[in-house]
Amino acid sequence: MSSRRRPGRPTRRRGVGLKLYGLTVFLFLYFPMVIVLIFSFSPTKTMVGMQGVTLRWYEELFRDRGLLNALWHTVVIGLSSVSIAVVLGVAGAFFVTRVHFPGKEVFRTLVLLPYILPGIIMGISLLIFIRNFGIRLSWFTVLLGHVSFTVPIVMFQIMARVARMGPNYQAAAMDLGANPAQAFWYVTLPMIRTAIIGAALLAFTVSFDEIVISFFLTGSAWMTLPVFIYGMLRFGLSPKVYAISTIILVLSFALVMLMARYTGRTGEVQAVRKRRGDGVD
Amino acid sequence: MHARFSPPRAFLRGIPITVWLAALVIGPLAYTFLMSFYSTDGLRIIPTFTLKNYGRFFTDPIFSSILLKSMVIALVIAVLAILTSYPLAYLVSFRIRRGKQLLFMLSVIPLWVSYLVRIIAWRTILGNKGVLNSLLLGIGVIREPLSFLLYNRFAIAITLTYICIPFVFIPVYTALEKIPRNILEASSDLGAGELRTFLNVVFPLSLPGLVTGFIFAFIIALGDYIIPLQLGGTQGIMFGNLIWSQFGFAFNWPLGAALGFILFAISVLILTLTSRFGTTEGGFLSE
Repeated sequence: MSSRRRPGRPTRRRGVGLKLYGLTVFLFLYFPMVIVLIFSFSPTKTMVGMQGVTLRWYEELFRDRGLLNALWHTVVIGLSSVSIAVVLGVAGAFFVTRVHFPGKEVFRTLVLLPYILPGIIMGISLLIFIRNFGIRLSWFTVLLGHVSFTVPIVMFQIMARVARMGPNYQAAAMDLGANPAQAFWYVTLPMIRTAIIGAALLAFTVSFDEIVISFFLTGSAWMTLPVFIYGMLRFGLSPKVYAISTIILVLSFALVMLMARYTGRTGEVQAVRKRRGDGVD
Repeated sequence: MHARFSPPRAFLRGIPITVWLAALVIGPLAYTFLMSFYSTDGLRIIPTFTLKNYGRFFTDPIFSSILLKSMVIALVIAVLAILTSYPLAYLVSFRIRRGKQLLFMLSVIPLWVSYLVRIIAWRTILGNKGVLNSLLLGIGVIREPLSFLLYNRFAIAITLTYICIPFVFIPVYTALEKIPRNILEASSDLGAGELRTFLNVVFPLSLPGLVTGFIFAFIIALGDYIIPLQLGGTQGIMFGNLIWSQFGFAFNWPLGAALGFILFAISVLILTLTSRFGTTEGGFLSE
């Protein structure tokens, strides 16, 4: 029989082509971010003829009250919407995985709608619905908007974990005399804890960045950071915009790294590594 | 099929999520659908049933032509996103041993990097005095700045492709990772070369992920209104902007609701048509 692989050369050459293509895609993915980073330190507006490095724009950020307020609003909205979403999402995940009823698939799809529909549809729908009750646009309407899309994010993350866990642990706890609350608190919750943390971080990241829905629900006085930055863009790109963008870039990288520690995929990889005897972090 | 019911007490757990669903999803969507049959008189919304808004959509050629253009752009973007992500996913899944996890992370991180920051970055690159023009002027390839880079559909396509890449990468990668590696060995034992193995084995098995990614990219691109506003200029108006403007200066909420419902119907139609081919495991919502 001939060797398994076709004779080396053409394969290898094709392999190189694919690697080069992959490298190009990575360059395409990261080049824009590097540009933002570089521009934030530039004393002038253009990179050509960039002379020296300055932290002036970062200092200016800290003096901009409007921006700091918007940042504060975004953090508050993120934390509160994620807290609500965790409660609703965990309850919902157990409901959908453990409780049987006809039409469950439809129910699941409906829950997912705020995530899979174009944001503009949720934005205008929430605006129309909320205004119908005479509620003025404020932090509250923004919060409602954020709760609409953070819930499916959290719920679907938790659902995967709950489904994999199976109902036996809880049943065992109750056989040993725990009441349902105790079984949840001492057995179930520790088992889904990392999934909850991962889901919360994920939802917070999305909430922190959200603009498509927030745009419709933000009043003129109470803005979230993305909406505020969007307003800054009306006066063109300024070094200050790059500085705040860089801070956001760094923050989102940090959040992703943190998230990776808690999501299942990396967990599985760590488990594989452990089994192979390689070092685990 | 779970046609059986759990005992009634179990449904208590479903109350919070059902309330949320009714108040923040079904309610708003249903009310928007209702409003799409209303009309306006100046700034007042008149709640009497009329088909006027849908009539306008079907008779005024501006609406249908922009919708059609937007769908073409969304299609182009989805194809571009596949052409960039698929080879990358294939590379990471099949060719990389060392640092595979790192490359996976590097491919999906852009998904979580601020949407607005990515828009700002592309405005910077494509602008008249932008990075690309400065670079090309600097090395003497061009004498005048290229003006076709920004404020048109080209800029929209590049930026949205950039946004969509991770959305395509994740489901494709997930599908590729699920292919048992011994099938590939079997294929090569039976004498198939790498290309043939790819075309006859790998590609068909990755189709569900590919379809999911395609749908995500298409729907994201079709519904976006911020990127056309920021990078599209006057000729880059998309369907999302038409909806958006009804809530801004045009102030015609019922018409906006009708256009929104048309976008909703298109999205749902595409999702249901393709749900049998795609996979629900998009990867980034399930673990």
